[in-house]
Amino acid sequence: MTTATEATSVRTAARVVGAVKVYGSGDTAVRALDGVDVDFAAGRFTAIMGPSGSGKSTLMHCAAGLDTLTSGAAYIGDTELGSLDDRRLTLLRRDRIGFVFQAFNLVPTLTVAENITLPLDLAGGGGDPEWIEALVDVVGLRDRLHHRPSELSGGQQQRVAVARAFAGRPDVVFADEPTGNLDSRSGQEVLGLLGRAVRQMNRTVVMVTHDPVAAAHADEVVFLADGRLVDRMEAPTADLVLDRMKAFEVRS
Amino acid sequence: MNTSVRLSLSSLRTHKRRFAGTFFAVFLGVAFLAGTLVMGDTLRASFDSMFGEATSGTDAVVRSAEAITTPGEAQGVRRPVGTDLLRTIEQVPGVAAAVPNIQGAGQLVGADGKPVGGQGPPTLAGNWITDPQLNPYRLAEGRAPARSGEVVVNRGAAKKGGLTIGDTTTLRTPDPVEVTVVGLATFGGADGMAQVTFTGMTRSDAEKYLTARPGEAATIQVRADPGVSQSALVDRLTPVLPKGDEAITGQESAQENTDMVSSQFLTIFTTFLLVFSGVALLVATFSIHNTFAIIVAQRTRENALLRALGASRRQVTASTLVEASVVAVTASLAGLAGGIGIAAALQALFPAIGFPFPEGDLVIKTLSMVLPLVVGFVVCLGSALLPAVRAGRTAPLAALRETAVDAAGASRARAVTGTALAAVAVATALVGVLVAPSVWPAGIGALLALVAFVVLGPVASSAAVRVLGSPLGRLRGVTGSLARRNALRSPKRTAATASALMIGVAVVSLFTVFGASLKATMDQTVSRSFAGDVAVSTPSFGAGGSGLSPRLAPAVQRLPEVDTAVGLGRGVAEVDGKGRALTVTDPAALARTFDLGTVSGSLRDLGTDGIAITRKEADRMGLVPGDTARLTFTDARTQNFTVRAVYGRSELAGDYVITRAAWAPHRTQDSDTLVAVSFKDGVSADAGKAAVQKVADRYGSPQVQTREEYAQSSAGGIDMMLTLVYALLALAVLIALLGIANTLTLAVHERTRELGLLRAVGQTRPQLRAMVRWESVLVASFGTAGGLGLGAFLGWVLVKASDGARDSAFAFAIPPAQLVVVALVGLAAGALAGLRPARRAARLDVLRAIAAE
Repeated sequence: MTTATEATSVRTAARVVGAVKVYGSGDTAVRALDGVDVDFAAGRFTAIMGPSGSGKSTLMHCAAGLDTLTSGAAYIGDTELGSLDDRRLTLLRRDRIGFVFQAFNLVPTLTVAENITLPLDLAGGGGDPEWIEALVDVVGLRDRLHHRPSELSGGQQQRVAVARAFAGRPDVVFADEPTGNLDSRSGQEVLGLLGRAVRQMNRTVVMVTHDPVAAAHADEVVFLADGRLVDRMEAPTADLVLDRMKAFEVRS
Repeated sequence: MNTSVRLSLSSLRTHKRRFAGTFFAVFLGVAFLAGTLVMGDTLRASFDSMFGEATSGTDAVVRSAEAITTPGEAQGVRRPVGTDLLRTIEQVPGVAAAVPNIQGAGQLVGADGKPVGGQGPPTLAGNWITDPQLNPYRLAEGRAPARSGEVVVNRGAAKKGGLTIGDTTTLRTPDPVEVTVVGLATFGGADGMAQVTFTGMTRSDAEKYLTARPGEAATIQVRADPGVSQSALVDRLTPVLPKGDEAITGQESAQENTDMVSSQFLTIFTTFLLVFSGVALLVATFSIHNTFAIIVAQRTRENALLRALGASRRQVTASTLVEASVVAVTASLAGLAGGIGIAAALQALFPAIGFPFPEGDLVIKTLSMVLPLVVGFVVCLGSALLPAVRAGRTAPLAALRETAVDAAGASRARAVTGTALAAVAVATALVGVLVAPSVWPAGIGALLALVAFVVLGPVASSAAVRVLGSPLGRLRGVTGSLARRNALRSPKRTAATASALMIGVAVVSLFTVFGASLKATMDQTVSRSFAGDVAVSTPSFGAGGSGLSPRLAPAVQRLPEVDTAVGLGRGVAEVDGKGRALTVTDPAALARTFDLGTVSGSLRDLGTDGIAITRKEADRMGLVPGDTARLTFTDARTQNFTVRAVYGRSELAGDYVITRAAWAPHRTQDSDTLVAVSFKDGVSADAGKAAVQKVADRYGSPQVQTREEYAQSSAGGIDMMLTLVYALLALAVLIALLGIANTLTLAVHERTRELGLLRAVGQTRPQLRAMVRWESVLVASFGTAGGLGLGAFLGWVLVKASDGARDSAFAFAIPPAQLVVVALVGLAAGALAGLRPARRAARLDVLRAIAAE
């Protein structure tokens, strides 16, 4: 499976085609995604932005196989997610996707080192020790490896989560508001880590955020509003993103 | 207060599932307790009415005044009365009729050749009383015995033995008598007096087979003329009776009979069951306490918010207590209803298994309703008290902190108190075992040990789970090590959950060890004391059976293969004013088939005025060979016996030995309980056994067993008892299992977010389920290991204390196979308890779980 990964990661790491997601039914039905087509190129850092309720989290969850589409298709590499049962989906998440969540989400009973290798351990394989070593140095947690998450600061915990996300060299790492619970300095550190992983280690990151400063760390920003893809922006800066966002608010 | 109630009720509505475990724990305990009490009431009432009805025609009973009661026996032995009294009694004004009631042991042989009954309740034979008003049995079918060899059998016994009118079978009295069933009888409307079997024969047959000499009867039953009250009749009878005889009213006699059944059977039976409902409720206490402790911990934020908004401590405490009360009341009420249901079901079930449970309504006394309710309520509320107080102490500030989970480790104070308690417990137990052997300090030590275990639980749980779970990580990878760490998260919670199971397992192990020790003791006794080759006995237990014909031993003795055959009979007498069992035998032959230890004096010539006594008894009374012991027999005659021998081992031979000749003047029905046989040199075991069996077949076919077989069958009753105990303890284990399941469900709820994360990063559903299940197994294995250890220790203490306190040596044995089974059952219980929480955890929606608070 990992060899196949190398081959497909050349072009598109993840994509959705005609993605529609409807919550509820009848009068109370809400179209969270209303026909979205987007692909996330391999080796790139993409940010998904949009106002609250624009469907950006839903898009990410569906693209990452955490949620299922009402219609349309989501792919990781060439694998269509809708055709997978729960077990295959779980294995796909374990082997080909990494996650960073807003609220750290570390396992409190495991040490830092164990949290980092958790997906690899769940798979039962050892992973690549050199890669893990390198990751530990990149996130700067070598002296904390045997601590428990409760003994770390929020920023440190999120750095552990980042290391965990990249531990299995997944096709793509999805980050859901990774800086939402952090102060600005820690947030910068985490964003810096994600950026470095993409540019220096040739990884792929898709990040949902509502913070223009965070979005500015990405290579490209896709804008969502009312469940539709409304714009894309290459080489974003915080000011440009902010202006674009303000434009939405005026319109709505 | 109103607000507290409202809060509790809304909380109960929202969290119904959380209380399901608590509800069932209380429900099961209360149902068992109520069922036991109601069944006891009903049985007692039905025995009352049964005896009342059966003996309603008897206005007075004449019998000997003195009864000799030997230790361990509920009913005393009375001398028979002379039937020549009948004429005197019949002449007393106001007497309408007087009949002799001859009673003895008589065991029927069923159509299948196997003896009927004998495993506990008495197997009786007597004369069929022709005056229907004086006969407690009523003829239901057929006719009364008219000729020698004709008998009436109670319907229950006939059913059990597959006998019908016209059948011919054998009645062991113990000499086999060929009898023909001519009638079937009922007792007080039922098929029999509980499980007692009764065979009624003609008066002359009864005198011939059941009494030592004609002209004797156990009692004389008297009916009064109309208008003469029972007490008036007794007043008139008393002056004409010879010294040593007495008259009591029919009512008193019926009451005595009821009391006898109550004390011998019902009280033991219900006490036994009550002990087990006590164990079940104790186990429930732990489960309930744990549930509330977890709920309160999980609700810290909510309670803190209430406090911050101005709720007083008392209001917060009260709201938790109200919640507990609602659960307590509903569960106790449901339990009471369930208990009455159990009693009704048993009433329907008993007759189906051949136990005559008299028909009629269930008797439910007020106490039997109030007690289970109160106990259920107190147990539930008491268990919730500490958590409720803790809830009240929640600081308002806690609302602002991260959700607090009760992860407190074991405090130093707990470790110190627990260790001190354990030390005291062991010391007390050891005093009871080694220094001054007695069951009391040993028992108190055992109880303290239990308390110490519970106190030390949280201290021990971390270490124990670490050790027990260490192979898990290696065997099951990250799933295993996650399970292990989850079990380590809250040592207090793990300990409390495991404690419930621990108590159940400890009691099971205690009984297992004690049972095995009893068996080993029997085995040891037989192999040490029995020097013969085969033993002849009738398989019986309790008051049942009829023993062996006294003519069997001489018949076996005449076999060419046999060196010595000696019969052992049983007699009673008061020695130094205390009732004692005597062994009636040929003392010289006894010494050849039993190892009596060191004998001082000689067993050869006891004659009619000599007695042999064990060293223990002789030392107690300060007797040496040549001294005199005073024996008083049931016929009130006192005789001085010269101590001719003092011997060391009493196990099978008994404490006092006299000759048949010495016993003859005082005996009633003559029977032996055991015939011990040793073969001549060169006779093979098989050939000898076959020869003896051939002779035995002529005397009612008792069992002929080799030494090993005899030892094993002596211990047979123990397995039966253990099976019953295990069945009853299954309830406690079930409650413990519910407790584990409940704790895990709450833990799963508390870890929702973490579980969601694990699923998101690639834990498969089977892995997640395995993780929860292994945690459950780990907690259970801690409880099981603790229970096994504690149970084995308590068993050792009990056995050793009894060993020191009793006359005969008591062997201690650990049955490895059974304990392994107990351990496996404990672990299986853990795996089972984990099933549901594991399934629920695996069903969690990943996204929602991650977003959960």
